[in-house]
Amino acid sequence: MNRPDAPRRAPLDLRGIPPERVTQPARAAFVWFSIVFAWLISLLPWRVWEGAPDVLLLTLAFWCVRQPNRVGFLTAFVLGLLMDVHDSGLFGEMALRYVLVAYGATALHRRLQRFDLLGQALHLAPVFFAAGLVTTLLHAWLALSWPGWDWALGAVLTAALYPILGWVLQLSFRGDHDGNNAAA
Amino acid sequence: MVRQQGTPRLFRRGPSAEVRLFVLGMVALALIITDVNTRVLEPARKVLATALYPVQRVVMAPRDGVQTVYEWINAANLIRSENEALQRQRIELSQVATHAAQLAAENEQLRRLLGVSGTTSQPAVVVEVLYEPPGSFHQRLVFNKGSRDGLAAGMPVIDEGGVVGQIVRVTPMTAEAALVTDKEISIPVQILRNGLRLIAFGSDSPSSMEVRYLAANADIVEGDTIVTSGVGGLFPAGLPVAEVTSVERDTASGFARAVVQPLAHPERYRHFLVLQVDVTDLDEPQPEVPSSESP
Repeated sequence: MNRPDAPRRAPLDLRGIPPERVTQPARAAFVWFSIVFAWLISLLPWRVWEGAPDVLLLTLAFWCVRQPNRVGFLTAFVLGLLMDVHDSGLFGEMALRYVLVAYGATALHRRLQRFDLLGQALHLAPVFFAAGLVTTLLHAWLALSWPGWDWALGAVLTAALYPILGWVLQLSFRGDHDGNNAAA
Repeated sequence: MVRQQGTPRLFRRGPSAEVRLFVLGMVALALIITDVNTRVLEPARKVLATALYPVQRVVMAPRDGVQTVYEWINAANLIRSENEALQRQRIELSQVATHAAQLAAENEQLRRLLGVSGTTSQPAVVVEVLYEPPGSFHQRLVFNKGSRDGLAAGMPVIDEGGVVGQIVRVTPMTAEAALVTDKEISIPVQILRNGLRLIAFGSDSPSSMEVRYLAANADIVEGDTIVTSGVGGLFPAGLPVAEVTSVERDTASGFARAVVQPLAHPERYRHFLVLQVDVTDLDEPQPEVPSSESP
């Protein structure tokens, strides 16, 4: 029988782990807010330069790594279609690129947990590049012309922005110790 | 019994990542190929674009605000310099106008003699650039007026220099124009000096156009001005298009190719004029825009 004075133990003792090592999942509202914000920024005319980083893709990739159950392929697909309409490009091109990156980020997300933001950015750079290459090759094949390599610079810059964006987003949800949203 | 106690879910529900990638990838691919080959997706695009329009306007409101304030502050200077230029132009134009009036009267008389129907003046709509869509495969501008204001695909866009481009897609609120340097644009033109009819195409370079399929001995030299010929019916005749910068003659193939520089400057201005030409018979094949994307 249980002795009444036996110390009650939690099933998993987290007390030995310093609090900053326990990454709390961000609130759903914050995740969606950051994605919508990135989308709005992407509607501004600064992306005319082909080598401009894709902030929306970056935000999607970040949340695919952090919370693959919440932000996934369908989100990427729909946002990609919206960007296609805004950019008046091929209908489905960005959607394909975003879905490819979402897959890459989701597939890598367990491995990426063990790396810091810089390591994660180095892992994601080839993902951005490969997704860009696939869609650019496809478009070049359909349009019968090669647009040059500016988009590759865009992929590199997108990856280079990853640690900065990750740091900013982490700052915003690290202090969030609301246990209710741990379900994600 | 163990099941009823509720085993913790260790794995995600739903299809695996690979299946989802495959399905959505295939959908995207199908959309792309449909978009390239048909115009079936245009209604969907229009609906999305119309839904996007308020968001685009709100997002760009700060930029437009800054621009308005800047223009307001500079109004005095701007008006002074503009006034000077306009004064000069007025004097120059008054001479030209007298001459033109004479010619118009004479032309009208000759047309009557020949039984040729007279040219009608073209209604036009002033549009402002909403934004420049990114993308290295095309050179486009999106304007702030659309089918609600009477714009339609096929209409020419001009500025004070000459032809800027052609409307290729309209939504109720916006219109998208391909610049003359866009690869998908081709304009029937002629050389002002000798009337030689040609077709000017957009090129891979963002700042120039090409005239291809010329006979190697064609009478075209550097400095020639190219104007629209009116062939095809979409572009009214006589609009300045470009100036010839170089001519390459390949005697082996028997063809020559000229590189021409557009006379319009779409990068300098925000306001353009769309000529409302009759595009009703344009719904089927479009001779002016042999587009690989949807025209």
